[in-house]
Amino acid sequence: MTEPVYLRACPLADVPQDGAHGVEIDGVPVALIRTGDEIFALHDVCSHEEVPLSEGEIYDHTVECWLHGSCFDLRTGKPTGPPATAPVATYPCRIVGDEVYVSLP
Amino acid sequence: MSSLQGAVETAAPVSGLHERQSYDPADFGVPTGREEEWRFTPLRRLRGLHGDAPLPECKVTVETDPAPEVISGHAKRGDPRLGRSFVPADRVSARAFASFAEATVITVPAGAVASRPTMVSVRGEESTGAAFGHTLIQLEPNASAVVVLDHQGSTTYADNVELVIGDGAQLTVVSLQDWADDAVHLSHHHARLGRDARLTHTAVTLGGSVVRLAPSVSYAGPGGDAELRGLYFADAGQHLEHRLYVDHSQRNCRSRVSYKGALQGQDAHAVWIGDVAIRPEATGTDTYEDNRNLVLTDGTRVDSVPNLEILTGEVAKAGHASTSGRLEDQHLFYLMTRGISFDDARRLVIRGFFGQMIAQIEVPQLRERITAAVEAELA
Repeated sequence: MTEPVYLRACPLADVPQDGAHGVEIDGVPVALIRTGDEIFALHDVCSHEEVPLSEGEIYDHTVECWLHGSCFDLRTGKPTGPPATAPVATYPCRIVGDEVYVSLP
Repeated sequence: MSSLQGAVETAAPVSGLHERQSYDPADFGVPTGREEEWRFTPLRRLRGLHGDAPLPECKVTVETDPAPEVISGHAKRGDPRLGRSFVPADRVSARAFASFAEATVITVPAGAVASRPTMVSVRGEESTGAAFGHTLIQLEPNASAVVVLDHQGSTTYADNVELVIGDGAQLTVVSLQDWADDAVHLSHHHARLGRDARLTHTAVTLGGSVVRLAPSVSYAGPGGDAELRGLYFADAGQHLEHRLYVDHSQRNCRSRVSYKGALQGQDAHAVWIGDVAIRPEATGTDTYEDNRNLVLTDGTRVDSVPNLEILTGEVAKAGHASTSGRLEDQHLFYLMTRGISFDDARRLVIRGFFGQMIAQIEVPQLRERITAAVEAELA
């Protein structure tokens, strides 16, 4: 099995505490979300309609899409509240120094 | 008296979706994806066609093979013949009209009957950068012609097609979107029908990464008859969008819209918007629109939105319908009880679903090509 390749996403300071920051890595929109001392990376398009999840609200390890209120678990990407029924992709990510790195499939 | 006047409907359609019109792209603003007319379209995949940044040019070749009775030529941007039949109703359409270099002009003289289809081949050579195009197809009174627009290759392309149909003229247009997998194509077809004119417009969309085709019809006199048909097959990752608009502003006109599509594979996405407005003066209107979608696998998505806005009580007929569903188990079961395998039964039912649509296409070579393409999708 090959080692996952981590790509630099953005400085850690760009991701607000208990908030989200949208970036594009290799043409893939990624929402970076910080809660406590954890960081998560999700595909930055709601599975319900074309809306960036990085503009949503963050609470209880959940991101809530601002437009229709779909909720997704930050750890699994699974929908926890309607109208979305399909999961969004999650990506492994880590903090190295002051930078955030994400591994895309 | 004044209280009675308030009861008479004289206003323009209330939806407003097609009411804002301008030749200047700046009048529309850059869409964010929240607008009603853009909310289904993946803007990030349009390679900047909807934006305001200048884009490097990519090459698109347009070749015309006209019937002997048909006059084919070119016109520069600013030619007075262009842009008379329509005003762009969205930003990309306005941008294409403000950016194309040379338009293709096809004219059928008064009373002429074209003896064979006129073929217009639009070939994309590369997908980086962007290209803009314009086509004018004009039929003088009582002319008759069949025109095929055949789109192939890789490209990022936005264009307007004007179909100006004179009094008593008959035009058949088949627009085939048979692009390569990486193509992005945003197109508007604007038809204007004269008195007792007839249009048959068929859109066949099979290839391309993102295809957004918006055929619209307006009437310049009573008695016009527009028949709009469509067939599409969305594969994994493809976004195929058709936005129809028929604006009934004249009395005793007829319109029929019928689109059929199938979807298969992860993130195959089809969008169909069917808008019909019947203005207060369009008494005696006869209109019906329908959209049928066949969902062949999991992971696909269909958005189908028919809208009717009727501002007069004096319509002959007005209706719409939309369905999206799986293959019916009973149909497959019936065929399988006759000894037909599941795969063959599935193919037969899908062939039947599209068969009638394909049989109505007036050009035999195209019928064969489209049938083969649909079969290839099912293989």
